[in-house]
Amino acid sequence: MALVLSGGGGERLSVLTAERAISAVPFGGKYRVIDFVLSNLCHSGAEHVGVLTQHAPISLHDHIGAGRPWDLDRRQGGVVVLQPYLTRSHAGFYRGTADAIAQNWNEVEDRAPARVLVLSGDHVYRMDYRGLLGAHLERRAAVTIAVTQVPPDEARRFGMVTFDRDGLVRSLVEKPLRTDTPWASMGVYMFDAAVLREHLGRGRPVNLVLDVLRPMLEAGERVVAYEFHGYWEDVGTVGSYYRANLELVAPAPRLALHDQRWPILTRDEERPPVQFRDHAHVEESLVANGCRIDGTVRRSVLFSGVHVERGAEIVESVVLPDVHVGAGARIERAVIDKYVRIGAGARIGDGAPSMSPDSAWLEGLTLIGKDAVVPAGARVGRSVVVGIGAREPDFEDGEAPAGTVIPSRAWFEEVR
Amino acid sequence: MRTTRYAFILAGGEGRRLCLLSEKRAKPAVPFAGKYRIIDFTLSNCVNSGITDIGVLTQYRPTSLNRHIGTGRPWDLDRTRGGVQILQPSLGSLESDWYQGTADAIYRNLVHLRRRRTEQVLVLSGDHVYKMDYNVLYAFHVAQRAAVTVAVTEVPEEAVSSFGILETEPNGRIVGFQEKPARGQARGRLASMGVYLFDRDLLMRWLAEDAAMPESSHDFGKDVLPRLVARGEAVFAYRFADYWQDVGTLDSYFEANRAFLADVPPLALNDPEWIIHTQSADRPPVRVEHGGRVERSLIANGCRVQGTVIRSLLSPGVTVAPGAVVRDSIVMQDTVVGPHAVLDHAIVDKEVRIGPGVRLGEGASDTPNRACPEHLSSGLIVVGKGAELPEGLVVGRNARIGAAVRPADFTGDVPAGGVVDGPESMH
Repeated sequence: MALVLSGGGGERLSVLTAERAISAVPFGGKYRVIDFVLSNLCHSGAEHVGVLTQHAPISLHDHIGAGRPWDLDRRQGGVVVLQPYLTRSHAGFYRGTADAIAQNWNEVEDRAPARVLVLSGDHVYRMDYRGLLGAHLERRAAVTIAVTQVPPDEARRFGMVTFDRDGLVRSLVEKPLRTDTPWASMGVYMFDAAVLREHLGRGRPVNLVLDVLRPMLEAGERVVAYEFHGYWEDVGTVGSYYRANLELVAPAPRLALHDQRWPILTRDEERPPVQFRDHAHVEESLVANGCRIDGTVRRSVLFSGVHVERGAEIVESVVLPDVHVGAGARIERAVIDKYVRIGAGARIGDGAPSMSPDSAWLEGLTLIGKDAVVPAGARVGRSVVVGIGAREPDFEDGEAPAGTVIPSRAWFEEVR
Repeated sequence: MRTTRYAFILAGGEGRRLCLLSEKRAKPAVPFAGKYRIIDFTLSNCVNSGITDIGVLTQYRPTSLNRHIGTGRPWDLDRTRGGVQILQPSLGSLESDWYQGTADAIYRNLVHLRRRRTEQVLVLSGDHVYKMDYNVLYAFHVAQRAAVTVAVTEVPEEAVSSFGILETEPNGRIVGFQEKPARGQARGRLASMGVYLFDRDLLMRWLAEDAAMPESSHDFGKDVLPRLVARGEAVFAYRFADYWQDVGTLDSYFEANRAFLADVPPLALNDPEWIIHTQSADRPPVRVEHGGRVERSLIANGCRVQGTVIRSLLSPGVTVAPGAVVRDSIVMQDTVVGPHAVLDHAIVDKEVRIGPGVRLGEGASDTPNRACPEHLSSGLIVVGKGAELPEGLVVGRNARIGAAVRPADFTGDVPAGGVVDGPESMH
């Protein structure tokens, strides 16, 4: 039995997660982030999977459907989406990861599993959970936490784990400013069901790490670390999302999508092969089926159905499905969400990045929200966020200088 | 009462003129336009027209087709009611022999109509590439009060001898039927598309009648339709004006594929209202790597391009190594083109390994193929499934390299028109 926590909205991904959960964010040219965990589960032989959703779950629900792509559309078990619900005795939304599991504990109880695998749906990695299970059983652990090494300056983004030579965990610190352990928790926990149940029943735990794992550690339960040495990436910030995508086009990337021994499974729309036209010039890029290329694409990731007109140029950018890039437009260091239309001759990611601390989180990147229309000839600087559904009048004098944030429009505004 | 529509797809054809491509698979299973199989177009026409109850008749080398169609998932044909069913010749039914002709194949499967409430029966060929809304054909059929309606398309004068040619009255009624007439003998240029809509009861009667005729070859085009026309039955022609392609020969296969490289291909593959469904494996996006260059080509997911690809079609999972050049060629699934290999006007089947520095398509094209001069003389080189071409091999034009050929099978370079047969060759 596996529970995938996919409720997170991720403020730090800005317009990319305004209308979808982090788990549903497109990644790697044709996937969504949660595909990696669902594929891991499929290849590891998981039979019962609960996906816990909360924030903007529509894309995620559409994507998972009955679970076909992962062979999880089963009569016995399979995938079930667990949303917050109301009862007479309790109300509502999940207050945190532990609360989400507690509110759905009856789903777990029904299947009476000996162990529960709790996963975050927000990470990109390939892992055979059977190895983790083996280690868990061998170490007779109450809970086994998968850990991976991260650089010291990244420690503040993660839960850092200290453990002794036998792998017994000594401490768990959430997002420390300073730490002497390189090991970060991957958000992958193998629990003995009985132990998890007991700790979920104590008080009303909110957070899985603070209110369940910490108390378990304090109570002297066997909390064991499981070292993982493969590729693992948390794509919860604009910078990490962008870099993880661009790393895929570098020579010999750590995450080899082409490795057919552990294919990443996804819900795939039927699209024709990529059409390269006479003026196509593509270098070191990923280009998905359904694209039509008549311009230049360098070190970029193009999702399905992107059209690049003649003379347009896309450099070091991530372009989500069904974006239209008009003739002569130029896009550099940008993340462009679905259905965006870039007018002819527009410049995206033009000039110098903003020096303002308010824009620091963008790391000099330009983000364009879903359905936005960038007018022909517009100049959109670096460190700019163009809101979902933005229209021509939102660009004053056809410009959005460095540091600008254009607010989102509701999709029905035009109807009104 | 709810009536349903039912279609038979004739997918047993051997496609002899496609040479190696159809040696290991039936013609409808031959790959097309980068990621499709020929039968995908007919199956997609059915589901896009709302026909979701289909029998696919197979006979020649059905394995590849069976695997492709499977339970019909890609076409949403894995249904509780209806769906797709593969109909293989079997023992112990009405007769117990291989299908003799197209009419015989349907005759032996009339049992499938027994419990179906359909007023008409659609009989289709799985060999053609086209996009057609069969609803229009049904409407025409009913409006004309036809007993059988044959979809027809105009073909060029020089092609008439490959088709069944029809003569019609202005109202569409067919008054003459010539199966593959010699050039100059044809009374018109309207060719049968292999799309027939029959009134169910008449179809059953006529097929029983034909089955009882010992002199008949039990073929719709050769026997049944000419007989119906001669006897004055209400046989109507439905004129279809859009793209329709019979990819019967290697040359027409090559040209038909290449037509899909145009800015506006003859048939839109990306129309969300008319999706061409196919069985596609989970493959990552196309990866164009350092040193890779692609011009005017169709490249499917799962391909890796480190060399140069010009005016070519690559099926899923093809690797083009550094320094390799693939020019004016068709390369099918999971084939590896080794470093500095050069392909020119080559049709390379699935899972072929082309060694480093191999050159396919050297020299002049005036020597036709030794084994099949009538099908392989325009300069194309054909390499069969799973062949392995050793480093530095040079292959002349019009050459044929058989399926599963191993490096030891080559005694040296292959001259123009040469033939290298592998262990499994049937030629």
